[in-house]
Amino acid sequence: MYLTIQAQGDNVKAISYLLAKNPNNVYERKQKGHLVRFFYSKCTDTELDATIFITPDPLELIQNKSRSNDITHYINDREFAVSSIFTSLIRSALGTALNGQPKEEYAQWVGHRFPFRFTFGPVASSLSDQQLRALFEPIGYEVEITRPKIDYSIHIKDRSSVRTVSLSGLQTLQDGLRHLFVLIPVIDNYKHYFIDEKEIDKLERYGEGWLETHPNREFIYRQALRFKELYDLVDLADEKEKKESPEKTLRLNDLRYEKIIELLEGLKPKTVVDFGSGEGKLSAKIGFLKGIQEILAVEPSESAALKAMDRFNKLEEKEQFVMPEAIWGSLFYMDERLRDKDAIVLCEVIEHIDEQRLPKAMDTILSVYQPGALIITTPNREYNEVYDMEDHFRHADHRFEWTRVEFEGWCHKRNHQSQYELEFHGIGEEQQFFGHPTQLCIFKRKREFS
Amino acid sequence: MKIGLPHAGIVLLVGPSNSGKSTLLNSLITDGAIVPSEVIGSDQFRILVSDKEFIGWGDRPPDEAVGLMEEYNSISKEAFSLMESLIETRCRLDKVSIVDATHLHSADRKRYIALAEKNHVPIISLVFDIPEAELLRRDENRDFPRGKRRIKQQVQVFNREKRWLKKEGFASVYTIKDVGALEFFRHANPLKKEVGPGIDLVGDVHGCFEELLELLGKLGYQKNEEGLFVHPDGRKFVSVGDVMSRGPASLETMQFFQQHVQRDLAFMVDSNHGWKIARWLDGRNVVLSHGDEKVEAEFAAYENEAGSENAKQLKTELKDLLLQAPSHLIFTANGVPVLTCAHAGIKDEFIGKQSAAVSDFCRYGATGGSDVQGKPIRKDWTASRTSQSLIVWGHDPKPRPLLINNTINIDQGVVFGGELTAYRYPEREFVSVSAKENYAGTDGNPLHEWEKNRLSPPNIAKFLNGYSVLTEELGEVKIQQEIVKPAIDSVSHFTVPIEQLLYIPPTMSPTPKPSSLVGYLEHPQEAIDYYRSNGIETLIAEKKHMGSRAVLLLFESKEAAKKQTGLDTLGIIHTRTGKRFFDAELEQQVVNRLHSELQKKGYFRKHKTEYVLLDAEIMPWNLKAKELISAQYAHVAENALLDRSALTGKLAAAAAENEQLTGWLKEYEQKQENAEAFRDVFQKYCWEVDALESIQIAPFHVLAHSGETFFHKPHTWHMAMNREFADGSELFVATEFKLITDQASEDQVIAWWEEMTEDGHEGIVIKPESYIAKNKGKLLQPAIKVRGRKYLSIIYGMDYLQPEILARLKNRNTGKKQKMALKEFSLGLEGITRFQNRESIERVHECVLATLALESDPVDPRL
Repeated sequence: MYLTIQAQGDNVKAISYLLAKNPNNVYERKQKGHLVRFFYSKCTDTELDATIFITPDPLELIQNKSRSNDITHYINDREFAVSSIFTSLIRSALGTALNGQPKEEYAQWVGHRFPFRFTFGPVASSLSDQQLRALFEPIGYEVEITRPKIDYSIHIKDRSSVRTVSLSGLQTLQDGLRHLFVLIPVIDNYKHYFIDEKEIDKLERYGEGWLETHPNREFIYRQALRFKELYDLVDLADEKEKKESPEKTLRLNDLRYEKIIELLEGLKPKTVVDFGSGEGKLSAKIGFLKGIQEILAVEPSESAALKAMDRFNKLEEKEQFVMPEAIWGSLFYMDERLRDKDAIVLCEVIEHIDEQRLPKAMDTILSVYQPGALIITTPNREYNEVYDMEDHFRHADHRFEWTRVEFEGWCHKRNHQSQYELEFHGIGEEQQFFGHPTQLCIFKRKREFS
Repeated sequence: MKIGLPHAGIVLLVGPSNSGKSTLLNSLITDGAIVPSEVIGSDQFRILVSDKEFIGWGDRPPDEAVGLMEEYNSISKEAFSLMESLIETRCRLDKVSIVDATHLHSADRKRYIALAEKNHVPIISLVFDIPEAELLRRDENRDFPRGKRRIKQQVQVFNREKRWLKKEGFASVYTIKDVGALEFFRHANPLKKEVGPGIDLVGDVHGCFEELLELLGKLGYQKNEEGLFVHPDGRKFVSVGDVMSRGPASLETMQFFQQHVQRDLAFMVDSNHGWKIARWLDGRNVVLSHGDEKVEAEFAAYENEAGSENAKQLKTELKDLLLQAPSHLIFTANGVPVLTCAHAGIKDEFIGKQSAAVSDFCRYGATGGSDVQGKPIRKDWTASRTSQSLIVWGHDPKPRPLLINNTINIDQGVVFGGELTAYRYPEREFVSVSAKENYAGTDGNPLHEWEKNRLSPPNIAKFLNGYSVLTEELGEVKIQQEIVKPAIDSVSHFTVPIEQLLYIPPTMSPTPKPSSLVGYLEHPQEAIDYYRSNGIETLIAEKKHMGSRAVLLLFESKEAAKKQTGLDTLGIIHTRTGKRFFDAELEQQVVNRLHSELQKKGYFRKHKTEYVLLDAEIMPWNLKAKELISAQYAHVAENALLDRSALTGKLAAAAAENEQLTGWLKEYEQKQENAEAFRDVFQKYCWEVDALESIQIAPFHVLAHSGETFFHKPHTWHMAMNREFADGSELFVATEFKLITDQASEDQVIAWWEEMTEDGHEGIVIKPESYIAKNKGKLLQPAIKVRGRKYLSIIYGMDYLQPEILARLKNRNTGKKQKMALKEFSLGLEGITRFQNRESIERVHECVLATLALESDPVDPRL
């Protein structure tokens, strides 16, 4: 990771005073175990070429990583790519220039604009060349981006995933460095340190005089403060551009829950199992169902279950709310706790399971747990045409999506002991020929078997 | 009078103040007949809770008297509650508590009777019936006289209550009039028996008399002149109950046990059928079914033949045998409990206890609800057991005797055409004989049911809170709750179906010590030294393929697959994390190709197997790791090259005029070389996959066939099999290997390793010749990987050979990795062995899930 500062023309030697680096010496300091190095390739009256770079200690960089048994533990781009690691390591070496506080006799040069060329790399960024330009061009740079050629024995990728960026423009040294200190972390794919409120201060300090008016200011803030909570702390004047939310899906979700609750109301269950309860949205709604006594929210994923628990805890004090019990469970095991409940719900669950594994799981539910009713919802694939989705599934993790005929046929097959009555419903806006976006089947246990 | 104290439980003293209770106890302590801690007195507890033994109020004005009485009552209440909790604790621990208080009111006594019942221990009472005059005289002489009025009141109550005492539920009531003429002794726990020279526990006989005699013969019992079966070493046989019903010769079998139990040559515990027949013989109104009706028929036949007098005599004898059969037995070695035997199982807290509840559990096991036919549903009481003590039981026929959570079921359903099993203790061996026929017919045959349920989904309760797997090679492997859950998550979302997931390859440790050579992190020498120092003579060095580990389960036919796994897929190929290796379409192609190759070779017929389970490496690396290579390795290489070439260029240009920069330049020239080497080395393991034939599969372990596992075969055998697979194959490839037997072959292997790793190959794996190697009983690493210098740069980073980095890496600790490797190796073997033995998929999954758990990161403790 390096930054080259070049300038040509009159008085450029003054830059060395602004940098507070003696052209006759090389500079080397240890920072957090890494070496910060600085040297001049040229320093004449009309030509200045200086490079600051880091020779990292690779072991230092990985010491604090938690997933230490990961194969990629020792192999990553952090020791090469310019990033917030780079800016924080070179900060003190360039402190004088950044703060614009050289020895008094050179103070006049602080505000002087030189024809600079800043070159830095490698840049490992998910931003496109165009996005990179859009960050630097508005603040007065000509941007040159180069990508190394690659030549692998097999086809691994179309082009290299690293770039070198050169910026040319008439800038004061202090402004130039401030631009870089804000924007290098913005373009980098990761952040190496914990992001807190101090980041906001830093942005405001280094951004003074240019960031407020930058056309991509909001994007810069969002990138710099990766975590949403922090980003929300910043009071941005302009209306926050709302990311195009999949409103369809959101509304469909609510309709789905509504339908399930409506069906449950008809069944008057005392005990309900929400299988694959995810973040607990449905379970929370079932908690308000009249006459409900027990809700088991079954989920085998840690992060989802934790969110569900938070959700339930927040509702705990609400009147007439029956707290769902979050339990760790799975469709592929036998779980005595799930026997003989009034209803089991599989809301948008089955399509996340390999089709081959489903019959057995369904047998366990219908023949072993024997609920009073089983409600299953799943996407109706026919409706994807309404969404213009062609061959795609609605979710990357969907293992299948069924047409109405497929779903109905499959449900009837699951009822091979004929102990249940089947009823099919559609959820969402109906379209001729395509049906509803979501399909639902309710299995009701026949009287003679209950 | 002789007074027998129970082996455990409560001895309740009853009698007014001054009747000599404490005095008697003190003298018993002095004599050593009891120990002080066995005596629990209310006075003692009053002092403990309030520092006061007694409060008198007889001579106080009424207001004060009321106050004092209240104080005394509340002290008493607390004292009694503390006392009760102590007594209960002692009951649980099978200790005797002698309760020293008046216990005049029936409510006081009932509390203790309930306490004894709740804890399944006996309670007896010692009733002190002393004349009132004597009591009053004694009261006058004591330190804190209770006062005449109180004594008189107490006597009144005592006289009213004493005649009811016998009916209150005491095991025995001793009425003491003269304290002088008492003799005390202690009963032993009737449930405890010494193992002595050894015992042979026999499973449910169910009237299969022929098989029983054959089994006893096999166990070394010999018929003596009296017709009794005795063992020359003095061993005894123990029936886990249900010797009768369902089978052909219940009467003979019962008589046989009656004779042997009576002479102390055998033991027999109570059981469900035994209890039913006992009550029938006792003349109770019971419905004989489930094969009990056959016993009735046999009695009728006997009566016909031998006459009613003999029949009556026999009935009485057998009734006594069955009614007296203990609920369970505890076998001790030198007085220390080592094994418990109960028919249908026992809860740990019931061991050594006696009560109706204990007897019921031992007869019927854990039950809950009833099925469609009204039969009680048997629950698995062994699932959640965590105790270390061994329990042997029968009742619930299973195809094989299995050690599960330190319980062994030895009912192998001889009456259903299965086997009659004996468990020899302390040898811990099974001996069995096959049934001559299926006597009970096929209807509801539990062995068939068992086979039908073999593939039922595993019970999640067994795993959720953490669990242990008892492995043959390493003993107990403990799996903590917080790593089980993510493994269950993975099985629920990503792995192949549980029925097809039989084995997860273990992790492999590098050399326990880093290389002693400069410039090397790993070297074969350290692996060889490890095995040599553990007494292993012959080693095998196999070339380590650089691809992705895979497990292949290939079936002879779809029918065979259905039979083994319940799913009719011809084969399955999965990764070390249990995920499908290829996408469905490619998997089908690969499996079909392999299947037709194996069929062409006549593999399944030749080896008489329905399936083959292989441990293999599949190449090229990019097949599975394309994303990783692109996003990680190639990306890092590009970063490094760009960074280093830019700086090298800059430094080179500047160094011409600035001497100070020569050091940095040299450093960066080296770094650039490292980056270039790194870029080259990972490409070595990649090639374009444009046709099925571009895929290479190296099967280096043949794990199992339907009749056999191959952990007893040396690696040379596995390598021979490897060649058999590779021979003429389009997908299977051979694995190069060399044997190490002496210095010369050792040097050859090292040279071979040097050469191949210099060329960029990953390296070699060094294994002991035998699959399972031990030194002084301790399991050794089954394999040690020795990776090459170049290869390791893609593991430890491109600059890892820089002396200061290498020095730090040499401090790596492989201890944890080695332990993991042993655990996972043992779990792998265990799971495959269980599958091959046709145990339930739950028992196989237990091992698989354990390895997945060991490889997963712990979850939030809140979950």
